[in-house]
Amino acid sequence: MLKSLDPRVNRLNLPEQFEAPMASIEALDQFETYQAFVQLKEGKPFEHAGIVHAPNEEMAFLFAKEQYTRRGMICNALCVVKTESIMVSEITDNGQDVYDSFSGSFSEDDSASFEIFHLLKRGKQHKYIGNVKAKDFEDALLASKQLYPRTKPVYNVWVVRSEDILMSEPEDADLWNTLKEKQYREAIAYKAADKIKAFKEEQA
Amino acid sequence: MYGGGNVFETMKATALADEDPVKLAEFEARIDRGEKIEPTDWMPQLYRKQLIRMIEQHAHSEIIGALPEGTWITRAPGFKRKLALMAKVQDEVGHGQLLYSAAETLGKSREQMIQDLISGKSKYSNIFNYPAFTWADSCFISWLVDAGAIVNQVANSKGSYGPYCRALERICAEESFHLKYGHHCVIHLATGTKKQREMMQAAVNRWWAPMMHFFGPSDKISVHSEILMRWKVKMASNDECRQQFLDMYVPKIWELGLTIPDEKLKKNQETGQWEFTEPDWEEFKRVINGDGPCNKERLAVRRIAEERGRWVRQALLAPKSKYVTPLA
Repeated sequence: MLKSLDPRVNRLNLPEQFEAPMASIEALDQFETYQAFVQLKEGKPFEHAGIVHAPNEEMAFLFAKEQYTRRGMICNALCVVKTESIMVSEITDNGQDVYDSFSGSFSEDDSASFEIFHLLKRGKQHKYIGNVKAKDFEDALLASKQLYPRTKPVYNVWVVRSEDILMSEPEDADLWNTLKEKQYREAIAYKAADKIKAFKEEQA
Repeated sequence: MYGGGNVFETMKATALADEDPVKLAEFEARIDRGEKIEPTDWMPQLYRKQLIRMIEQHAHSEIIGALPEGTWITRAPGFKRKLALMAKVQDEVGHGQLLYSAAETLGKSREQMIQDLISGKSKYSNIFNYPAFTWADSCFISWLVDAGAIVNQVANSKGSYGPYCRALERICAEESFHLKYGHHCVIHLATGTKKQREMMQAAVNRWWAPMMHFFGPSDKISVHSEILMRWKVKMASNDECRQQFLDMYVPKIWELGLTIPDEKLKKNQETGQWEFTEPDWEEFKRVINGDGPCNKERLAVRRIAEERGRWVRQALLAPKSKYVTPLA
């Protein structure tokens, strides 16, 4: 039996040596991936926070809340989108605007609603720009090019159908009300300069 | 938390021979301009391989690093310390998730990484193969092991791979709480009763050698490390990180009346470099290859968690759902 300093580990009755290698977990855990976007303050744009793996959209939302909004003193809203629902444009570099490579006319059909995210600097997060109405992803890109004039080059665009986004409701904002009570998660709660000073004076 | 001493794969002299020279030149020009590489960009195989290896080792270190501290949550002195340590351990596991995701954008699945950790194929930071005997050990880890990790992580956050940099920026922001919390705990013991001071000193004595090992052996100047530096995969040498750590933290340890168990440790005022007894690199190698006090326990605990959680994942499995590599 494996001996540990930790009584909880001892209670697991782990063998000193496992007899067989662990069965493959490869196929078992391949959950869908979701992209999470966070809005820190009301009126600020949503920003891409990162990804989560989850068996469904609602679990993705829960995981994203825990992973990306448990820290910091404020958060206003959160949304998740299945990765496969995001249409990703090409990526450019060196001051080249990716929108320059899309041209042509687009149809008047505005039956569907899309949300647009831009990458303004390589290495940074994609930021929410706004909504466009269009027929499909390609038209949404062209519509976005016309609707949102750019002063700086955009390196990459993500387009998502509005209906594919799971968004927290405004009344859910109280989900994050407890953040202010969790000061013990912040560096500021651990001031000790006085104690060091007193100790040094005592030693001197 | 993670130190240097990454175990990079040795490079064959022909490693770059098969790469398209035009694409390689564009790739290098992008890095030279200071632009980050994103997952959909073309990249040399070697760059991809070494980054996966490095980010994966970092992720494993977060997960395994949660174990020696996690042990102390239920025995932390008082409600506040329990609350804080629980939050810290949760952060570390969260960092593991962020890093697995970053590595995943390069094409290796999270499941394969976990499998390689448990089978012993992948490495993690050597320091977590040592046991946390007392509460003071846990305080040492929270303050100084995290401090060492921050030195390394801040350097790496300026690297060239976008998803890794973004994960590190998030991680570094959270580490500031760990560092302050750990320092607070150590100050409390070091300025406390005689017994508390002794406990803290004993922990420093136990952890100093693993702490010096933490940054890895001196890097040999090689073509290999030269190319990893040029591609901004490796941002600082192991020696640079170790020197920076000593410079920032030795004075802070001394000011608490604690001693460091190395008689040769001193700053050479002329060179500005810290001098110390050469760490025992044979022990470092022995421990990293599986023969440390806790290697077996750390992997066994991970394996049993994986096996016992299997039915939960089985129950959640949606056969029709399609795995898609994360975007960023």
